[in-house]
Amino acid sequence: MSNELLTELGASLISGNLTDKSLLKQTAEQPVFKVLPNANVIKIGGQSIIDRGRAAVLPILDEIVENLPHHKMIIGTGAGTRARHAYSVGVDLGMPTGVLSVLGTFVSMQNARMIHFMMAKHGIPFIEPIQFPQLPLYLAERQAVIFFGMPPYVFWQRNPEIGRLPAHRTDSGSYLISEMFGTRSMIYIKDEDGLYTADPKKDKNATFISKITVNELKSLDLPDSVVEPPVLEFMKNAEVRREIQIINGLVPGNITKALNGEQVGTIIRAD
Amino acid sequence: MTNQTDKRHHLNSVLMRESLIDKKVMASTEVETPVIRMLPESHVIKIGSSSIIDKGKDLTYPVVEVLGELLEKEKLILGVGGGLRSKHVFSIGCDLGLPTGALAQISVTDALGNAHMLGALLSPYGVVAIPPEIFGHLLPLFIRSAPGVIFNGVPPYSLWEHPPGIGRIPPHRTDAGCLILAECFGCKTVTLVKDVDGLYDSDPKINSNAEFIPEITVSEIKERKFETLPFDEVLPDILKTSRLVQSFQIINGTKPELIKAAIKGEHVGTIVRADN
Repeated sequence: MSNELLTELGASLISGNLTDKSLLKQTAEQPVFKVLPNANVIKIGGQSIIDRGRAAVLPILDEIVENLPHHKMIIGTGAGTRARHAYSVGVDLGMPTGVLSVLGTFVSMQNARMIHFMMAKHGIPFIEPIQFPQLPLYLAERQAVIFFGMPPYVFWQRNPEIGRLPAHRTDSGSYLISEMFGTRSMIYIKDEDGLYTADPKKDKNATFISKITVNELKSLDLPDSVVEPPVLEFMKNAEVRREIQIINGLVPGNITKALNGEQVGTIIRAD
Repeated sequence: MTNQTDKRHHLNSVLMRESLIDKKVMASTEVETPVIRMLPESHVIKIGSSSIIDKGKDLTYPVVEVLGELLEKEKLILGVGGGLRSKHVFSIGCDLGLPTGALAQISVTDALGNAHMLGALLSPYGVVAIPPEIFGHLLPLFIRSAPGVIFNGVPPYSLWEHPPGIGRIPPHRTDAGCLILAECFGCKTVTLVKDVDGLYDSDPKINSNAEFIPEITVSEIKERKFETLPFDEVLPDILKTSRLVQSFQIINGTKPELIKAAIKGEHVGTIVRADN
């Protein structure tokens, strides 16, 4: 007698092995449900924006407020120079990657709290990972929320391939939220126009790349990049968030244009 | 060091002003200081859920008895999975089209339920399930004050779980949570207790001629492209970048005395090793 309480997939999963690729394929047969398809994820850079203080932060927050009537925004924060300091001290003391990840989380949380205070009068909350179930209500009521960009892996942050620092930092954490919630965009606010062939702060000959695919970018094998490498790996496997834009937040109007779907920086696409 | 054009406020450190994506900068964090071991005397043991706990008392009680004996001398960090209930909730979630991060978040409580059942069984030995919110930070304290602890092996990836590439099942499940934890805390051994002797060249539950593999390296696992594995597929990748944990062993929990042997470092199942 067949078990009518189980779907066909349920029966296969219960008797099967979760490393079996043919079984795994069946788990994506239904179209993926977009949880918050009208929201945008915006990441405000730590070292690139927040560490500059009011000169960079206040105009960006003003522009975000101007966009509140038109766009829903899930705003993640980067870490920046204090994370670099904590990582330096931590590495010197022999800290494992998981402990360094905890330190990075604290710094990106400080930045989230600062942005939260600056935005408080607009009724915009800061939510920790445990408060994400309230995210839809806050977005419906106030159009925006602030979260810390670090994925909450803490002691479970995997070791990186090179060196000891957590590879999954605030670009990765913000990206994964955009993929998870099926949002309409992922916009990184940094202090450069986008991706260059080299770090434009150090190399005057660096040339700007306005559009590129993940595979093209990988084949360039650049020594440095504008976005954390795991984001590119995630994009390869992503079902929803197949495109990201990196924009210069120091140029007024860029955030508005990016929210409206225009290209003002570098767009990286999955192949 | 002042830089008139740099308007960012920096804190003096060797990583100051640096891009943390730059490969050279990343390589510079590989310093001579070895990574510390926070809990070098503790053993991490993952008790399978589909394979042991879900089978009920026939398989679970003997395992609990052995764990109780071990706890008299050894410090154990016991992880458990979600087992059949997680598989069931995955099947409903997939049917609804929920994304991987949602499935990861939802499935945590199945493992937690199993952790609480194992905790109830091990209560006479002073071992209970610790809530995941406090487990990581307080682990050294618990390990010093109790003979062992139980946690739900699920790593806290939740909504931030990686898109898996094939299908939607969260790739970092409880085997992964146990191995990453052991690496972070520098634990002595990692043992995965299942209901098979270890790794075979094909699934021994389907193919009775399957050949047992007593020992294998990460790169051999990658080369041989097994159809199924008796552990989370991400484990070889995690082991590849591990510094403190260089191997894990899969053993058969239907012969619970093997757990004692594995803790002593004896080879009683399949040992998966990092390449050297």
